[in-house]
Parts: sequence; structure tokens; C-alpha cells
Amino acid sequence: SQKKKREPALASSYIKQIFRHYAKMPVARDAYKIVEKCCEKYFKQLSDDLEAYAHHAGRKTVEIADLELLMRRQGLVTDKMPLHVLIERYLPLEYRKLLIPVAVSGNKVIPSKSACLS
Amino acid sequence: VAGGMRRGAPRGTLRAVLRRHKPQLRLAASGDLLIHLNFLMFLHRLAEEARTNAFENKSKTIKPEHTVAAAKVILKRSRG
Repeated sequence: SQKKKREPALASSYIKQIFRHYAKMPVARDAYKIVEKCCEKYFKQLSDDLEAYAHHAGRKTVEIADLELLMRRQGLVTDKMPLHVLIERYLPLEYRKLLIPVAVSGNKVIPSKSACLS
Repeated sequence: VAGGMRRGAPRGTLRAVLRRHKPQLRLAASGDLLIHLNFLMFLHRLAEEARTNAFENKSKTIKPEHTVAAAKVILKRSRG
């Protein structure tokens, strides 16, 4: 049989693991196939939205602010639920440190401002 | 985390998926981590909606139909 060229995509085992974690109840095997298809649609939609935001701002780069705006429009980030709280809730410490500026001694801020939240 | 979920983000793959959809688009440093965050929250919403659908149908298992119904709602709510 001819091997299909692999498109970059998240591993189905990875998607399955996350979905099962959040589902907290048994999930039929066929249901995971739907979840995978849904993830494909999600990434397509996400890419289109991010492109629109960047183009609207006259940029070719998706900035952190674009992603924050996206999450606001999705109703995930609100005035009562700021982005940094979601980061603390969902991401492990190593990633939090990359996204949320931490003041260190010597008045230096890690990471650099452009890479993290304003 | 023992018995828990893998916490690491597939950062390279996330960037590759975006590049596949939008080859011209660049992504700021750490942008992939926020995409990862958004993806986790998307799956969280999807799983909770599917679970609610299963409960309403008195099913002890999340079946494909519960997931399809959840997908319609959650993809709509995920639009930017």
C-alpha cells in the first residue's frame, strides 16, 4: 500500500489523552474519531481567525495580543477571568514562567517583554 | 503527573499545524504556548459539553452522537 504523506497534526493519542482527562467518564472509541475531526476544524478556524487579526493590524506576525483578543472573543478571557489566571490554571510552571513576566533581582524582567503578556 | 495528563505542549507540532494552514503567517515567541492553552480549553469545553449530552441521554458513556452535538456548539463558541 502507498504511504500517505504525513501532514503535521497532533497525535491522536495525545488528543485522546486530553479529552479523556476532561471528560471524566468513559468515552466510546468512535467518539474519539469525532473529537479528532473536531480538532482539525478547530485548528482551521483558529488559523483563519489569527490571520484575520494580524492582517487587520497590518502585520504578518501573530502577536500575543492577538491570541488574548481571540480568547476574549471566545468568552474564555473576561474581566473576571484574566488571561494570566487561565495560564496559571492550565499550563505547567515552566510555561507560565515564559508567559508571565517575573520580576527578578536587579530589576530585570524575564522573559523579554515582547514574548509575554503586557 | 502519575496517572494524569501529559502536561508538555507539542510546541513544534502546533507551529507546524499553523504553518500548514497559513504558510505566510509568523507566530510571536511563546505564541504557540497560548495556542496550546486555547486548545486545552477548547477540548475542556468540548468534553464537558459531550458529558452533559451523555447525561441528558442517560448514557454512561460518551458516544459519537454526544460528541457531534457538542462539536457543533463548541466550534461555534470558539470562533474569534
